[in-house]
Amino acid sequence: MHFSEDDLREALKRKDPGPDFTQRVLARVEQAKTKGKPAQSAKKNNGFFAWWQLRPAWTVAVTAVLLLGFGWGGYQYAEYRHQKQEAIMAERHEKELQEAERARDQAILALQIARSKLNHVLQQTQVPAVESDKIRRQRL
Amino acid sequence: MEPIAGVEDDRLKLALTRSAQGDSLAFAELVREHQGMVFSIAYHFLRDRALAEDLAQEVFLELHQGLDRIQSPAHLTYWLRRVTANRCIDQGRSKQRRRELALDDAPEPVAAEQPADPLLLEKLQQSLAGLPEKQRLMLILRFQEGMGPAEIADVLEIPVNTVKSTLHRSLADLRRGLTRKIREVRYAFF
Repeated sequence: MHFSEDDLREALKRKDPGPDFTQRVLARVEQAKTKGKPAQSAKKNNGFFAWWQLRPAWTVAVTAVLLLGFGWGGYQYAEYRHQKQEAIMAERHEKELQEAERARDQAILALQIARSKLNHVLQQTQVPAVESDKIRRQRL
Repeated sequence: MEPIAGVEDDRLKLALTRSAQGDSLAFAELVREHQGMVFSIAYHFLRDRALAEDLAQEVFLELHQGLDRIQSPAHLTYWLRRVTANRCIDQGRSKQRRRELALDDAPEPVAAEQPADPLLLEKLQQSLAGLPEKQRLMLILRFQEGMGPAEIADVLEIPVNTVKSTLHRSLADLRRGLTRKIREVRYAFF
């Protein structure tokens, strides 16, 4: 079905809100004025403490900020503790490693000393018995 | 014609100045001057006389509270259109009003393709009510207020090209919807 732009203009032509519309608007303006006055004067008197009237909003905001702050602080502290503990563990591990190395070195040194002594003893014990008899006789 | 327009403009300027100074008679003059525009935008958008009147009253109430910000009669018209359009969209969203009148409610069809045919106008209004909010508002501003795409774009704060394409699409949707409605009525009738 076809329609022209004029049909659309006709369908959307301005309508009159009625003869008393202006009066109703003015009445509403007056009503708003009388409602608004006490609120305005209260606002002027309490200008400095006006923020206090918004205390539910403030409470929510401050609580949210505090919760966020505590949450973030707690997380940071836990992280700090964790890192510190890890550092201590790493340091302890390092020390244990050093001590183990030192003990190993000492053990190796002790073994070397023991080996040299044993070698010396073995050399002494392997001297021919004849020679030892001669020496014994000479001593006698 | 121009001197009359100039006199009219001066009269409105004076009314605006006096309204800003608290003269309620001058404010009443401003309301009388623009009530048709504001009410009609709301009425064509909402398709409910009581809601439209309430919305128009709220617009004028807001105007009264912000009269000192209005600089000229042209600015006043622009401001009223803009505030009315925004309030219409808000109202539409809150009420989820995208209703289409049932065909049973429509009057019986008579000869269809005649200019200014009451049936055609009725069907046009019904189809218009079935369009999405933005499309409906654009058509109202275009064909009720005779605004150009640039002005509509300015009022609705959207790009001009979007307005042009949406208007084009809206007219096509309107034609399609209207054809469907008439066909349905014909089938029902025969």
